[in-house]
Amino acid sequence: MSILDASVSGMLANSNWLSGISQNVANANTTGYKNVETQFSALVDASSGVSAGAGVKTTMRSLNGLQGQVEGTSSSTDLAVQGAGFFVVSDAGGNIYFTRNGSFVPDASGNLVNAAGYYLMGANVLGSAGPVSLNSLSGLQKVNVQGAAASASPSTTASMVANLASSASVITAANLPSTNSAGATYTDETTMVAYDNLGGAHTINLYFAKTGANTWEVDAYDSGAAAAGGGFPYSTGPLATQNLTFSATNGALVSGGSLAIPVPGGQTVALNLSQTTQLAANFGVSSASINGNAPGNLTGVAIAKDGTLSFQYGNGSAANAYEIPLANVPSPDNLTSVVGDAYAANYQSGAAHVGNAGAGGLGTIVSSSLETSTVDLATELTNMISAQSAYEANSKVFQTGAKILDVLNGLQP
Amino acid sequence: MTLSSALTIINSSFAATAAQSSTIASNIANVNTPGYVRQIANQATNGYGGADVVSIARQANVALLDQLNVSTSESASQSAIAKGLAALAQTVNDSATASTATGVLQNGPSPSAMLANLQSALTTYAANPGNASLGQAAVTAAQSVTASLNGGAAAVQEVRSQADAQMAACVGSINSLLAQFSGANAQIVAGLATGANVVPAQNARDSILTQLSQQVGVSTTTNSDGSMSIYTDSGVTLFQETARTLAFSPTPVLTAGASGSAVTVDGIPITGAGAPMQIASGALAGFAQLRDTIAPQYQAQLDQIAGGLVSAFAETDQSARPTQPGRPGLFTFPGATGVPVNTAVTGLAGQIEVNANVDPSQGGSVTLQRDGGISSPGNPAYTYNASGGAGYSARLTELASQIDAAQPFNPAAGLGASASLSGYANASVSWLQGQNQQANDASTFQSSVVAQASAALSNASGVNLDAEMTNMLNIENSYTTSAKLLTTVNSMFSALINAA
Repeated sequence: MSILDASVSGMLANSNWLSGISQNVANANTTGYKNVETQFSALVDASSGVSAGAGVKTTMRSLNGLQGQVEGTSSSTDLAVQGAGFFVVSDAGGNIYFTRNGSFVPDASGNLVNAAGYYLMGANVLGSAGPVSLNSLSGLQKVNVQGAAASASPSTTASMVANLASSASVITAANLPSTNSAGATYTDETTMVAYDNLGGAHTINLYFAKTGANTWEVDAYDSGAAAAGGGFPYSTGPLATQNLTFSATNGALVSGGSLAIPVPGGQTVALNLSQTTQLAANFGVSSASINGNAPGNLTGVAIAKDGTLSFQYGNGSAANAYEIPLANVPSPDNLTSVVGDAYAANYQSGAAHVGNAGAGGLGTIVSSSLETSTVDLATELTNMISAQSAYEANSKVFQTGAKILDVLNGLQP
Repeated sequence: MTLSSALTIINSSFAATAAQSSTIASNIANVNTPGYVRQIANQATNGYGGADVVSIARQANVALLDQLNVSTSESASQSAIAKGLAALAQTVNDSATASTATGVLQNGPSPSAMLANLQSALTTYAANPGNASLGQAAVTAAQSVTASLNGGAAAVQEVRSQADAQMAACVGSINSLLAQFSGANAQIVAGLATGANVVPAQNARDSILTQLSQQVGVSTTTNSDGSMSIYTDSGVTLFQETARTLAFSPTPVLTAGASGSAVTVDGIPITGAGAPMQIASGALAGFAQLRDTIAPQYQAQLDQIAGGLVSAFAETDQSARPTQPGRPGLFTFPGATGVPVNTAVTGLAGQIEVNANVDPSQGGSVTLQRDGGISSPGNPAYTYNASGGAGYSARLTELASQIDAAQPFNPAAGLGASASLSGYANASVSWLQGQNQQANDASTFQSSVVAQASAALSNASGVNLDAEMTNMLNIENSYTTSAKLLTTVNSMFSALINAA
């Protein structure tokens, strides 16, 4: 009786649809959830080639290529993918999966783990110079945001923009700061802090002394070597001495624009003085900057659009620590779903390719955001009504078939 | 675009209006906070059509703040000087003259007034040299002169010692402010790097800077990472990466001629006449100028008057062929061996006294004024009244005229190289009153500049209640509408669920 078989398969198909709908409604607020679509396809009697009475079958497909809304949160490790691609995650056993559920938080050991228990994977780039391009799953490790040691970096470059008063009186050669004698004097002085290899701060005294018309001398001294009570004579000679020559026509520096100062216990700082002027105005520093920093503790992490996770230190410096890659497959809808909004690649989905976020057709990573579920309740409720009516219709067909059978049975003498 | 996405957008609207209202609340709460900078919540459309408050900005005006800080420093230094000079001016604050039986008497405490009284007493005594009570009156007048000079010198020392103590207080306050600045600055640098809200730290940093400019004139530069460097108005670094420490050792008692220690930063002196990097404004500069320049100059003038008195009233060898040196007469000082030259009188104003030999209360005799020999009673070389007659008035007349006679003074004290004693004393009083007036005028002027700058800054960056009220109404409307939208979407869902 094909009439009964077909209506039973119809009821089965519609109850499958309803179960798909109930799954979608249940996950209406699951981060990174992709709604399940139920596809119907008519069955055909292979022997006769006629479809009538053969029934229907369903295929459930998770629409993994859909983009959910990206909603802001307050945690910088909440991540969302804007565009194609999945985060590469691993379970506790180290098996690699893909997910769009980016609600990552550090666990007790500092590894970023999402609500479903999957660990975020990335390439450790701490200490490496320049951007790293990612192209394979191998070499990825769990992203860990804890235990990053305090970081210090020595000063190597500095710049200062100052004006030296052209009207200042000339200092005799015997009293120049470079002599480091007790009677040494100077026209102007300012200080800069430079950091040594271990992040220790050294105050550098910079003395400017006018030696003649449009010529000056600049001397750098380590403040720590100053005489008792400060000033000259220092226990060690000048760290650097240089003559500056200024133009008589516009007061700009003509020569001596770079001063190499060897910081005690640190690197040689190249101090750029090329913007220094000698004009008929009082001494004044209009800008002074130096690189390097004192040791600072980890205060937070920041994740850029391209997936670069950087450690932020209390001293204002930052260091790139991880590159978070995205992965995609040729057919995302055919990925095997596993528990916790995660997917595994299979033969049908095709092999995964990995790359930096924002490159090669992959989407970008949005920090402090989560991707909402793609389920639309209105659509699901509408579908539910359709499924219910279809189910009822199938049951009517079944009743009709059953009555016909009763009639047949009644014909029996 | 689905009903669910409508809910998400409404949610973002609630969050954004909440952030906007908290910004407005903060602005309204701080409407009377001095130096508060109005905050603005910057809103932008996010990726799914909702609204996010992306940052909180400050309506800051750097140029006006700098202007306020500069005028605050100027005002603080002038006010410091004015306070010190007001204390000094008390010592020359002469009151009205009074007529007595012996003539017109000056009532004031100034050396100039006391000198006039002495001259008048000597003239009266000279008219009746036999009258011992007139002699006593002359001695009393002379004691008033020394008391005035002693009082003036003590006041100078008091002002200098207080200025020194105030400098120590300024240095302590600057060091503590720099430490606070360091904290706020680090917060801003770290906050800007991580995208945290740095507005409270920026407000704190500005406020610290304004307090700092009370103490010392500063200029600032801002670096690319948001950190700020502070320099004194003379260019010495106070803060760059780390706070520098100001060093100062106070001198509790500053005697005449002694100079207090200088304030140093990294070993570089920023106060004192010889410092190449001397600061020009702020309370510290004012107190330093008072301690190192103004008060010592007045001290020098008092010393010149004292030296002038000793030499004008000195006794010379009256022998036919003088062999003895001149000796201090009516006015002397402890340990006197001769008449000091006018370049070696430092501290004399504090030590000058009336010779005990003419003071009956110390066993002396007032008639020595008439007869001479005050420096060495009985020594014929210094006796002017050789005959011993009670009617001898030549010496008294000479003494009275000495007060008006021109004599050399040390030009280093700033009142010229030659003047009469009375003229010099008058000039000194005028100098002090002139300085006091000038400092008062400057202080008043700078205070009004501060008030103007403060008002300008407040207009530019302060809170305008009307604007906040308007914003608040807008926000309220937006919130109400969002809530209404939420109700509508909710009833749409209900309709759908009831249909199912």
